[in-house]
Amino acid sequence: MIFDLELKSVGKVYDNGTPAVIDFNLSVTKGEFIAFLGPSGCGKTTTLRMIAGFEGISSGDMLIRGERMNDVPPQRRPTSMIFQNYALFPHMTVRQNVGYGLDVKGMARSERDAKVDRILATLGLEDIASRKPDKLSGGQRQRIALARGLVVEPDILLLDEPLGALDANLRKAIQNELKLLQKSLGVTFIFVTHAQSEALALSDRIVVMNQGRVEQVSPPHQLYTRPNTPFVAQFIGRNTVLSGEVAGNEGEDVVVTTGIGTLSGRANGAVAHKGRVNLVVPAEAIEVHVADEVTAPGAKNRVDARIERSEVVGHIAHLTARLDDGRSVSLEAHVDKYRPGTFPAGTPVFLSWNPAEATVIPAN
Amino acid sequence: MNASGIKFGLGVYTALFIVFLYGPLVVLAILSFQTGPEGGPQFPIIEWSTYWYKHLFGLTPPSRIAPLPIDQALFRSLALAVMTMIVSTVLGVTAAQAFRKKFRGSGVIFYLIVLGMMVPGVLVGLGMALVANTLGIDRHWWGTAFVLHVVYTFPFAFLVMLAIFNRFDPSVEEAAWSLGVPPARTFRKITFPLIFPGVLSAMLFAFTLSYDEFSRTLFASGRDLTLPLAIYGTFSVEVHPNVFAFGVLTTLFSFALLGTYAVLMGLSVRRAKRMAIQEEA
Repeated sequence: MIFDLELKSVGKVYDNGTPAVIDFNLSVTKGEFIAFLGPSGCGKTTTLRMIAGFEGISSGDMLIRGERMNDVPPQRRPTSMIFQNYALFPHMTVRQNVGYGLDVKGMARSERDAKVDRILATLGLEDIASRKPDKLSGGQRQRIALARGLVVEPDILLLDEPLGALDANLRKAIQNELKLLQKSLGVTFIFVTHAQSEALALSDRIVVMNQGRVEQVSPPHQLYTRPNTPFVAQFIGRNTVLSGEVAGNEGEDVVVTTGIGTLSGRANGAVAHKGRVNLVVPAEAIEVHVADEVTAPGAKNRVDARIERSEVVGHIAHLTARLDDGRSVSLEAHVDKYRPGTFPAGTPVFLSWNPAEATVIPAN
Repeated sequence: MNASGIKFGLGVYTALFIVFLYGPLVVLAILSFQTGPEGGPQFPIIEWSTYWYKHLFGLTPPSRIAPLPIDQALFRSLALAVMTMIVSTVLGVTAAQAFRKKFRGSGVIFYLIVLGMMVPGVLVGLGMALVANTLGIDRHWWGTAFVLHVVYTFPFAFLVMLAIFNRFDPSVEEAAWSLGVPPARTFRKITFPLIFPGVLSAMLFAFTLSYDEFSRTLFASGRDLTLPLAIYGTFSVEVHPNVFAFGVLTTLFSFALLGTYAVLMGLSVRRAKRMAIQEEA
């Protein structure tokens, strides 16, 4: 099988000796929407720039459609990049900006004009085609950058935080547009972001990076519900990570002895767990009970706590509880279930969760 | 002090600044209208006249005051300034482009370039004269002096372009590459139009600095004098208001040059706009 993009043990070391990307492996099939997600400085943008050809590859191989690209200069790669600041050519009109990549290819004028017209229409830019970019809004400039990058029909479109400079409402709208556009064109998108909501909403698979390394490559739902590493557990969603030691198995559940009691969760995939592990409990999975409530039969995961803070945002109640060992835990609940005022600060409660919703991962 | 007081103070300060800047020039301009040939370079004005302007162009009856020996010198200075401007600007732009990336020895080379504008001109001129004599090279305004003018003005062009590139967004170039535009074409069609105002400023610097240059040229130019040398030469005999008349004319020329610069700037903006409109049609 020929992949659109293959990164084989790709590494990047800067001239001063600092490693920026370490042993990056990824195979992307045609039409996939991949997000590189991680905190700033994790190497996600560097990896994108290596794919585009702006940064040299220090070790490993990069292939696009089976062809080795390590030493191919950016202008000869079948990639096209969308920049966070859009990087439009300020001395050219919108139409000239969009058509410039085709001019260089020596395309016939009529063919070029037809292609430019089509992409301008697709992105709703016909009315501003003769304007200069500096007079236009952020959303418009974003679309121009997209049109300019897509009109040259790249195999892979690289997007470096393309929504970062937009305000929240616009970001949401363009996010939807982007997804529809990508599906209708069938072009492979590699999307760099530090916003997990964007990555979760848009991508087919998410590559979570931290300190130059790939932490996990998974579809969004799996990434959210079954993190592989403590970093992913902390970075994605609102999880509580409890460290402990494997005590044994009960059916599918793994029983873990922690500092606050014996608790259980599900092992993640085929990973065998022995010795020290982390138990990851998502905020949404935790149920809150009044302390004197009778424990439901078979509820194993029972942790005593005291409510510290409760805050209602829309229909979600965000609660913070303090455990006996001093650790604070985030909880989320629908307001219809826990009306504001049910758990004033200081209320003793117990927390429980379904073992199937918690994940056992290796210790740090 | 209250706000209006500060405003008044700043106003006075600005007015004084302008007086000191233009005062000498205004005095020269007034004295250039002194009557001739008997009127000297001092107040009071005996009678208003354009005698010294006519004298410059040889339109007055012969008198004991020799005409300013400037026609050849003016040509030399202009030619030298244009040559210097072209070479220094090309060097400045390309050197600044090279300095956008750190390379081995870039720090040392930076100071070596900038040294050209900091070393005392008289010493460099003298040094050049000695080197030329030792090596048996003839000294000419278009040879030895030209080299020194480039060494002197290149750092100015270089620093101007360095500042321009400092504010230049390299992602625009990367965007072009990623669209399939080769680097050389990217430089011509994307980078250069965007840095062009800076290039104009670098040209203006190089031209005016070279046109005015005295100390380096003094020893390095050999037999044929440039304009500043020729004018200075006349001072050693006696100063007549014809020098002032000439000063007024060269100042007007400088203003014309600045005007050209402004027009060129305006044109480059307008041309871009016109291209946009053509595209639309």
